[in-house]
Amino acid sequence: MIPTVAPAPADADQAGRTTPGATPARGAGKAAITRLSRHRLFASPGALAGLLWLAVLVIASLTAPLWLPFKTEDQDFTAVLSGPTAAHWLGTDELGRDILSRIFAAAAGTLGTSMLTVVVGVGLGTILAIAAAGAGERAEGVISRATEIMMSLPGTVIILAVIGAVGTNIPVVMAILGILMSAGIYRVILGQAKSLQSQLYVDAAKVDGVSALGISLRHVLPGLANTIVVQAALIFAVGMLIQAGLAFIGFGPPIPQPSWGGMIQGASQHVYDAPWMMVPTGAVLALTVLSANAIGNALGKAPNAAAAHLPSAAARRQRAKAVAAIAAAVPAPATKDSAAKGTLSVRNLSVGVDNAGAGNGVRLVTDVSFDVEQGTVLGLVGESGCGKTMTALSLLGLLPSGVSVTGGQILWGGRNLAATTDKEMEGIRGRDIALISQEPMRALDPMFTVGYQLTATIRRLRGMGKAAAGKEARSLLEKVGIVDAARILKTYPHQISGGMAQRVAIALALSGQPKLLVADEPTTALDVTVQAEILSLLRTLVKDTGMSVVMVTHDLGVVADLCDQVAVMYAGQVVENGTTQAVLDNPRHPYTLALLAADPHANQAENMPERLATISGQVPQPKDWPAGCRFAARCQFAGSACLEPVPLLRSGPGEGLVRCVKADQLAVEGMDWLATDVPASRRLDITPTLTASELVEKDLA
Amino acid sequence: MALFITKRLLMALATVLVVAVLAFLLVHAMPGSPGAVSLGAGASQQAIDEVNQRMGWNDPLPVQFFTWLGSAVQGDLGVSLIDGRSVSADLASRLPVTASLAAGATVLSAVLGIALGVTAAVRGGILDQVIGGFVGLLVALPAFWVGVLFVFLFAVQSSVFPATGYVPFEVSPQDWALSLALPVITLAVGGAAFIARQTRASMLEALQQEHIRTLRATATPTWKILYVHALRYASLPIVAGIALQFIGLFGGSVIAEQLFAMPGLGQAVQTSVSTHDAPAVQGVVVIATVVVVAVNLVLELATKFLDPKLRAS
Repeated sequence: MIPTVAPAPADADQAGRTTPGATPARGAGKAAITRLSRHRLFASPGALAGLLWLAVLVIASLTAPLWLPFKTEDQDFTAVLSGPTAAHWLGTDELGRDILSRIFAAAAGTLGTSMLTVVVGVGLGTILAIAAAGAGERAEGVISRATEIMMSLPGTVIILAVIGAVGTNIPVVMAILGILMSAGIYRVILGQAKSLQSQLYVDAAKVDGVSALGISLRHVLPGLANTIVVQAALIFAVGMLIQAGLAFIGFGPPIPQPSWGGMIQGASQHVYDAPWMMVPTGAVLALTVLSANAIGNALGKAPNAAAAHLPSAAARRQRAKAVAAIAAAVPAPATKDSAAKGTLSVRNLSVGVDNAGAGNGVRLVTDVSFDVEQGTVLGLVGESGCGKTMTALSLLGLLPSGVSVTGGQILWGGRNLAATTDKEMEGIRGRDIALISQEPMRALDPMFTVGYQLTATIRRLRGMGKAAAGKEARSLLEKVGIVDAARILKTYPHQISGGMAQRVAIALALSGQPKLLVADEPTTALDVTVQAEILSLLRTLVKDTGMSVVMVTHDLGVVADLCDQVAVMYAGQVVENGTTQAVLDNPRHPYTLALLAADPHANQAENMPERLATISGQVPQPKDWPAGCRFAARCQFAGSACLEPVPLLRSGPGEGLVRCVKADQLAVEGMDWLATDVPASRRLDITPTLTASELVEKDLA
Repeated sequence: MALFITKRLLMALATVLVVAVLAFLLVHAMPGSPGAVSLGAGASQQAIDEVNQRMGWNDPLPVQFFTWLGSAVQGDLGVSLIDGRSVSADLASRLPVTASLAAGATVLSAVLGIALGVTAAVRGGILDQVIGGFVGLLVALPAFWVGVLFVFLFAVQSSVFPATGYVPFEVSPQDWALSLALPVITLAVGGAAFIARQTRASMLEALQQEHIRTLRATATPTWKILYVHALRYASLPIVAGIALQFIGLFGGSVIAEQLFAMPGLGQAVQTSVSTHDAPAVQGVVVIATVVVVAVNLVLELATKFLDPKLRAS
């Protein structure tokens, strides 16, 4: 329901492909470079620096004999335990050996043997994960138990016992370390391997007779590539640290041979008289580990993290500033406008992605206006991605992180909620305006009982004592049609059904005795029979409590059932509004017409068309909204006049408004939205009723 | 729940058994027979053979293993080849050292890590980035290097803490705490960083849950959403992370014990491995495993208890 705010990874590819180039070949090359430079690895300065440092280290170490100023065993007794000097850039150790030379001489071995841990650990972990994912539940169970055992072992102690058996044979020890670490890697990779294995295209490949091994190699392994590289980088870092640790406690390469851990051990003996010695080796080791971690973290960063429902303190401060700006820009509402208590008036509301974010100021809702009188129900209808939910959430000031109101007013009880701080909204949420959302299971806190959630809310919103709140909770549950309220109060959300959970969620919303209820697709996630029950419950509640409702839905049946007024939304705009009866009986906007034609319930059994109509194409992404009519690209009646911006105008006898240049003409001609492909002859090119300049004038007026 | 506990107990037992076999095989792969080790260089082959014969070294491996297991179950882990002391008695005196070290480090890591991680997730912005960078640096710093730095700062530069050594609790609780301070802090540095990362990620995930929006829609105060509801939701992965950290710290204490001259299990492993003291190696590996597995089991049951879904089933 919430439009994706951050650009999907595919967008970056697209942008790369459309880069204009002089010749196709050059264009492709450029595109490839653009793509590469946008890769996560290169987008992170830390990872880039890490990559560079590792490359320098490897090259410097491999070519060490060619350029090192000293041999690793060269002893300079004139400069024992010296700090950095012109001759010894990083100083010398207790035998006068050059620290710089020893660090770089030791690097290749350290990196190489750590790589051995990576190859064994990640290799074994991946093989186990792919095998477990492909071989069915039983094999997975066995492998998982075995890895659980491995993970609960004191690894360091076991490695030391191994050293006891095989001696300080570093490659063997590091390989065995890899085996011990493979269990953790298996755990990380298994989930992803399983989800890849359950993809439909894998099933298709199985049907086609591709062998299990073939599927693993061709379909599962490639999908794991990124995770494998991330794990490799992180294990590489851990391997280096453990190897250095072993050398530090005396299980490193034989004595004269330099190793980072051994050098730090040597330095620790002289921390009293030559503390400098600790610095170079420690810094190089830390830097190398840091590099590997930076690479792993950059690659492993989730590209599209979901937005927090409670923004961080920093984000909240930023939002408070934005609210203050709106409050300063928009004059305080004239009280007479909305003096009528219990009336919600939304005026020219715009919602957009914050400039700082990835979406860069994309508008999600533009210029939306509607009124909800006390005790009435307004339906916001439209397909997914039309801005219905964003509009609804803005009424409570609960837009997700990174999205905020960019203009317009939300007038409630003489206040402009669009220019109200989060702190002040706390006094309105629950008490004045309440919310019920689409998925009742996810709307309730899984960690607390229904009773706790309900009583805590009642105590907070109504200032009741514990006992009174408990009583009220039970009566609220009974009010929403729960028979065994006492039992339900003791349950956790996972123990009740979806319909029951939605009743609880409604009770929660009612606990502050709100005057306005915002219901965001409250029945979409429920079974059909339960849907009807919940709708009838809502209808009763409206009648009994006199509260008003803003009902977000894509179901015209719900609108017909419950709503007094309806606003049809398309691509962030209201395209038609009016009383439910007027809009549903005499739709004037092609989109409303199309929605009705596509609704199986709206078409009565006797005149049910042979083929249900569809609306070809999809709602355009917010960033692709055209300047003209946003529905034109999918409209069966679109003409050249639709390329100009279309205002929301009065049309026909009622009070309803419609945003279509051909509304009157369509009403006169009584056209239907066709279920079949539209013949070319059907595409009327009606001369525009208004010229572009007239349109502009009208907009300004 | 009862079934779950039984299953976990059996798994724990299996783990210890696997390790016992592994340790037994590793010890047998060590260079030098027990006779050669205990009699030292210069002993005659005949004397060596005699000792080996007496210790049952030439019996079939399964016989040897079950003999060892039989006495191990009764608390007898054999005698050291080097000094002839009872391995069980030696380890019993060392266990409190490592246990205080690992427990102290785990608690300190958990407290620091949760504080840092929650702050980063909750405050966001620049503070989040600063903590992220700091934690990234701590993860990369080797524990032994940090330890030496602490010795330099707090024991050499200013003698706030003793540089090395261990004072048993019975001797002086105050000195015990002081002698543990530096090693515990040393071990906790990396542990805190690890738990901070886990906590930050778990908190952010918790805050993305839809029920957080419901809580806001019912005017729940921000502090309560953060520290009662979100932290409660995040507590499961955090406790799991702490359990993993304890395993790491228990093993990792080898380095701290070496660095600060603490007579713990880690030091015992290190010396016994260096001297090829087979019964001591075998004993310490098994004891370390038993402790780690037991603590892990408790923490795992705690995790499950935190989850209403599992608790109810």
